[in-house]
Amino acid sequence: MQKSKGGKIVREWLAQKGLKPFAFQEDAWEQYLLGHSGLVNAPTGFGKTFSLFLAVVIEWIDREPKFKSKTKNGLQMMWITPLRALAKDIARAMQEALDELDIPWQVGIRSGDTSTAVRAQQKRQMPEILLITPESLHILLAQKEHANVLKNLRSVIVDEWHELLGSKRGVMVELGISRLKGLTELQGRKLQTWGISATIGNLDEALEVLLGKDTWAGVIIRAELNKKVALHSILPDEIEKYPWAGHLGIRLVKKALPVIENSNTTLLFTNTRSQSEIWYHGLLKESPELAGIIALHHGSIDSELRIWVEEALHTGTLKTVVCTSSLDLGVDFRPVDTVIQVGSPKGVARFLQRAGRSGHQPDAVSNIWFLPTHSLELVEAAALKTAMKEGLIESRMPVILAYDVLLQYLMTLGVSDGFDANVIWEEVKGTFCFRELTEDDWQWLLSFLTTGGEALQSYDEFKKLERDENFYICRNRTIAMRHRLHIGTIVSDAMMKVKFISGGYIGVIEESFISRLQPGDAFSLAGRNLEYIMIKDMTALVRKSNSKRSIVPSWMGGRMPLSANLGKMLRRKFQEAIAGNSEELELKVLRPLFELQQQLSYIPAEHELLMEHIQTRDGYHLFVYPFEGRLVHEVMATLLAWRISQRHAITFSIAMNDYGFELLSDQPIPVDETNAKELFSLDNLNIDLQSSVNATEMAKRKFRDIAVIAGLIFTGYPGKSKTNRHLQASSSLIFNVFKDFDPYNLLLRQAFNEAFFYQMEEARLRDMLERINAGDIVIARPERLTPFCFPIKVDSLRESLTSEKLEDRIKKMQLQLEAD
Amino acid sequence: MEDISFHFREQHWRVSAGKGLYWEEERALIVSDLHLGKSAHFRKAGIAIPGNIVQEDLFCLQQLIVRYNPEKLIIVGDMFHSVANNEVNYFKLWRRQFPQLQFDLITGNHDIMGESVYQDLEIRQYDSLRLHNIHFVHDAADAPPSKAYYVLSGHIHPGVRMNGYGRQSLRLPCFYFGQQYAVLPAFSHFTGMFTIEPQAGEPVFVLAEKKVIKMQ
Repeated sequence: MQKSKGGKIVREWLAQKGLKPFAFQEDAWEQYLLGHSGLVNAPTGFGKTFSLFLAVVIEWIDREPKFKSKTKNGLQMMWITPLRALAKDIARAMQEALDELDIPWQVGIRSGDTSTAVRAQQKRQMPEILLITPESLHILLAQKEHANVLKNLRSVIVDEWHELLGSKRGVMVELGISRLKGLTELQGRKLQTWGISATIGNLDEALEVLLGKDTWAGVIIRAELNKKVALHSILPDEIEKYPWAGHLGIRLVKKALPVIENSNTTLLFTNTRSQSEIWYHGLLKESPELAGIIALHHGSIDSELRIWVEEALHTGTLKTVVCTSSLDLGVDFRPVDTVIQVGSPKGVARFLQRAGRSGHQPDAVSNIWFLPTHSLELVEAAALKTAMKEGLIESRMPVILAYDVLLQYLMTLGVSDGFDANVIWEEVKGTFCFRELTEDDWQWLLSFLTTGGEALQSYDEFKKLERDENFYICRNRTIAMRHRLHIGTIVSDAMMKVKFISGGYIGVIEESFISRLQPGDAFSLAGRNLEYIMIKDMTALVRKSNSKRSIVPSWMGGRMPLSANLGKMLRRKFQEAIAGNSEELELKVLRPLFELQQQLSYIPAEHELLMEHIQTRDGYHLFVYPFEGRLVHEVMATLLAWRISQRHAITFSIAMNDYGFELLSDQPIPVDETNAKELFSLDNLNIDLQSSVNATEMAKRKFRDIAVIAGLIFTGYPGKSKTNRHLQASSSLIFNVFKDFDPYNLLLRQAFNEAFFYQMEEARLRDMLERINAGDIVIARPERLTPFCFPIKVDSLRESLTSEKLEDRIKKMQLQLEAD
Repeated sequence: MEDISFHFREQHWRVSAGKGLYWEEERALIVSDLHLGKSAHFRKAGIAIPGNIVQEDLFCLQQLIVRYNPEKLIIVGDMFHSVANNEVNYFKLWRRQFPQLQFDLITGNHDIMGESVYQDLEIRQYDSLRLHNIHFVHDAADAPPSKAYYVLSGHIHPGVRMNGYGRQSLRLPCFYFGQQYAVLPAFSHFTGMFTIEPQAGEPVFVLAEKKVIKMQ
């Protein structure tokens, strides 16, 4: 490194700007120059981009004597980014640096927004650096002769790898890199693969997923820089009068305003899009002078409007922006100095990420205000403080054996130049995601694409990939075109565009929401009150509404469960609260609520599990509080219900939130001190889990994305949605058909696996059961609803489980009749 | 396959758990929305729906025919899913088992094949059909209400939501006999469901695991 000419030039350039590289940046340059691959772990705002981008530049200066004049060098480095919005700013920064260094490299962007003219230009002459999304990488691989434009490639760098890691987009990256490695090897070189990640609990594993079979040669470079975060809670004046559940925090809008006023620019994070719409209106109503300097930013808003908001954030013209996870990631908005988090962030990592959106200068403190949506949530603020202090950051679980993504990828290769199955098998087996893929599964996947999963039958007309010995290719132009339009793993609900009847695009909204509206109904989108007129050409036409009352659409998805770390910390905080000697403000404020809980029922100690039997008009309730997050609670509730129903013919409906769950039945629930413990036994856990009927329902929900990703759901061509109506089928229909007619279908198996591992979080469930078995169970019988149970009863998702015969159940039920 | 006898609009009916309705006076078996050829249509487009659904559907229909030994089979629309494909040829073979049975098809919005194809399959086609006081159409919305007849239709693949104590909920396919018209459930296994909300007093027969249950 000391001898490197490039290193010298880059250091001098930095020095001219009065900058000195961080130690981790120098480490990264050195490792890169040695030809290694690896992972850089650094927080935003500390030049993580430069740690690797400059390494590539240094290597170029060292390698090429005419580094200042040689142009048209072909694609040297590919920079994969999860967000389109990020690409533009990073590209700008890179281009500026290159210009100042007098290196004639071009930086290009390839994403869904890239025009066809630019794409064609790139095909003729690739820029030396290409910023690309995982989806666009696959679309590139779906093009004929992609090998030619990629032949000079030396390195691939994945930005924000922690964001991609736990998702199927991460699998797309793994597969994309496996192909890039193969193509580079054909040129007699070895591809250098690097990732950039924020701090997560499993950095070593993150490296393994990124590098696959080449992990042994990888290094991790840690920045060891700590960002200071200051958490303040916004407290309700009277804790007894603050709602116990379901008020979205809007009652505290008055208390949020001074925070906004005293700050330069504030980001106000909500957990759902509908909540952000409500908050936007709430703030404006309470403080009309915010008009013009407040904006709304979420995933259903027109992208042009979102870009405008982002630019206004840069220039500092906005006082506050109400947003969702849509602004979790991204480049730094310098003017932002305050963040407000409405409701639980559900995890330490996410909270830190959001806090980090304020105070970007390396030494600045990130200020974040926590605004509870119901009283008990204040405990979470206390828990977050301690978790941050102790560095309890969540892990991101990588996705394994995503057959749907693999099917899509094979098809992608099929529509480009076709592929040799032996070559691709080796590459795919080299990834982390598919290292356990069996030869049988591989053959099934290939046959699913060539014969549609059936033995060849004379009357079958299945068409997708054609096979010639080991070579597979798609020769059907219609199918190829359709596939190119469907590349990607982000599956949203059927969305409908919303436009003014006079013209002007506003955003998108779930079709299911629009279908429930009557012409004349008012609803709210992108902060506007709109009157629904009609649907035309798959677009909902609206006009401005003066109606005072409007419906806020509820968007699906985005309900994150409480992380295990935060759950653990919560249990500890409840202990401290009961002990009554805590100095923490949040816990002190909550005392009246805890006293009420104690008086009506009980507050469990750390080794205790509390259950509450309560009878109401709805029936017989059993509430249980393990504090393990809604996903684990759903499974736990199902398991408990199933085990009880093994002894009695009984039907339950099940509800849960992040703190606990509820079983509700039309008959008394036979659980008491004598049998409670055996209901939580670890014996026969797997068998019991598999027999619980909910597995099918969970799998069916998981199957929705799988069916879309694997190309089983035909979503139509853009603007041509009317044709091909005969090819429409819902994922639940296809799921049922597979279950009845093709039970060994791998995609079905994947749906059940995903349900078990990701939905049920089996490992976490076992930990919890062990904890309960080692501790005590306390059963209380309160006269009325308690502060603990109320939020579960009020806002929760419902499932049902039964051991009664369907026929008997139906006889007890009522038809849902038309409302009068 | 069990059924329930049902006296309605001066006629005698048997409502079968096999998704068919048998009309005793006319010795007619009535079914709706067979969507034959649907999986083949998907498969041809590269969507790997299992190929054996049509066999199962036609086997179920065969069981109903054997059970009631009808003189005619009335299909209230959407007998075929789309353009001709090899499953239509499979149907042609299957059809030969019942040369004496008359097939009357009320043309549905999916029945888009040329007339000659239906002639070749020995299926008679009607826009609508009147027998006694019963008026058959595919989509009940196309038949104006009348005192002179009662409408029997298909098209919407009806299902009902059942609610129980303890906030239980289920969605099941059904036969619906409304004040104005009746709707048959979709026959094919490869069809979805549309949830209807009947009014109090309207007879509804719910289908559940080879059972048929009268709800009101």
